Amino acid sequence: MCLAIPMQVKSIDEFTARCEAKGVERDVNLFMLQDPTLAVGDHVLVHVGYAIQKVSAEDAAAAWAIFDEMLAPAEARAAQLAGTES
Amino acid sequence: MTDIAKQALARLRELPLPDNVRIMNVCGGHERAITMAGLRGVLPGNVELIPGPGCPVCICPEEDVYEAIQIARHEPVTLVAFGDMLRVPVNAPRREPRSLEQAKAAGADIRPIASPMEARQLALDDPDRRVVFFAAGFETTTAPVAAMLAEGIPDNLLILLSGRLTWPAVAMLLESGQPGFQTLIAPGHVSTVMGPEEWEFVATQHGIPAAIAGFRPDTLLAAMYSVLHQYAEGRPVLENCYPEVVRPGGNPTARRQLEQTMDVVDANWRGVGVIPTSGFALKERYAAHDARKVLPDYADDSRKRVGEMPPGCDCARVVLGQIYPNECRLYGAACTPRKPVGPCMVSDEGACRIWWSGGVRENVHTADRQAAGR
Ligand code: SF4
Repeated sequence: MCLAIPMQVKSIDEFTARCEAKGVERDVNLFMLQDPTLAVGDHVLVHVGYAIQKVSAEDAAAAWAIFDEMLAPAEARAAQLAGTES
Repeated sequence: MTDIAKQALARLRELPLPDNVRIMNVCGGHERAITMAGLRGVLPGNVELIPGPGCPVCICPEEDVYEAIQIARHEPVTLVAFGDMLRVPVNAPRREPRSLEQAKAAGADIRPIASPMEARQLALDDPDRRVVFFAAGFETTTAPVAAMLAEGIPDNLLILLSGRLTWPAVAMLLESGQPGFQTLIAPGHVSTVMGPEEWEFVATQHGIPAAIAGFRPDTLLAAMYSVLHQYAEGRPVLENCYPEVVRPGGNPTARRQLEQTMDVVDANWRGVGVIPTSGFALKERYAAHDARKVLPDYADDSRKRVGEMPPGCDCARVVLGQIYPNECRLYGAACTPRKPVGPCMVSDEGACRIWWSGGVRENVHTADRQAAGR
């Protein structure tokens, strides 16, 4: 439940932002994230529909790697990790 | 595998470590990342990774789930909860529903939601009908509930709050004198909201090396290297290995909203018991939105007993890191994700569920028994 995913801000209407990730768009509530001001194009970490933190574009891209990795079979990942050491 | 991960792993293998070091994690997201990336398979044999109290669904008290079921059955309300909560089984008299899902099948108006905003929208859409939001979760999930309250909610939206703080559970384990781990990986997104400072006590008061980790294998390995290096050197500190997201002070707006809307109280953890200062409760000024105050008849104090797990389910010991999931005698036998016996097999963050979806099929309990010829 505590996993948050990075999304990119497409438009902002007061405390609601239209955000996009991997081609999927949704409304994200910005009420929890008022200290750093957000602009269109920024990336945010989204958890249960709320933006919890601003992140850089590089970190957002890197964080997406986790989801791809998590979808890969565990044994393949282990072999890959182990193999690089031999 | 990234260069950071390779380096962390290579350096980690060279550390002078004793025969056995245990690293506990307290986040279902970490456990999932560790299991899916197969990190247990690449670490040296003397390093054990222990899943701890990282699943808010698993530790949500039985009496809270039961209360939600009774409200949904007997009041003219729409009850909403995060999807995982619907399948959590509780002990109930024969012929009564044993989960929110069963109550829903029997006709109660119960709906899964993915965001507090959906609860608010449902209440706005039908102002004449009460919506009860059964909100269970750790800090990361409770903070959006606080934000929703702070932003303002319709009169017909009630909250049945079952929010929990994570660090007090770790404090309880450490104060027990037998924590069962020597180093700790602290949760990433809890720290994003609450700030890394909350975890400093682990190192300063208990001498336990700690690191806050993100969710990619490379940052997890970097955090593991950090705690093991600290352990080998005998110099425990809290290291922030997820600085791109975890900043000093956390998210100040979110923390302010939590403080404005909720009190921190002693709270019951399913199978574990009451942990001091580990729960959130709505402040008095939100009494009109507090399902516990507006609908008090459904609280059943007699259910508040430690060990309220389904018969045979070892979730409590799994949650405390005392046994691995597949050491439960029901794992993979009577209990699978299709037919879960306990909450740890229901939730996406439950260790039993994660291990099962990670491909662990062997029941060690049974294997031990067979080896011993019993
Ligand atoms: S395998 Fe099932 S019964 Fe055993 S501890 Fe896990 S959830 Fe409980």
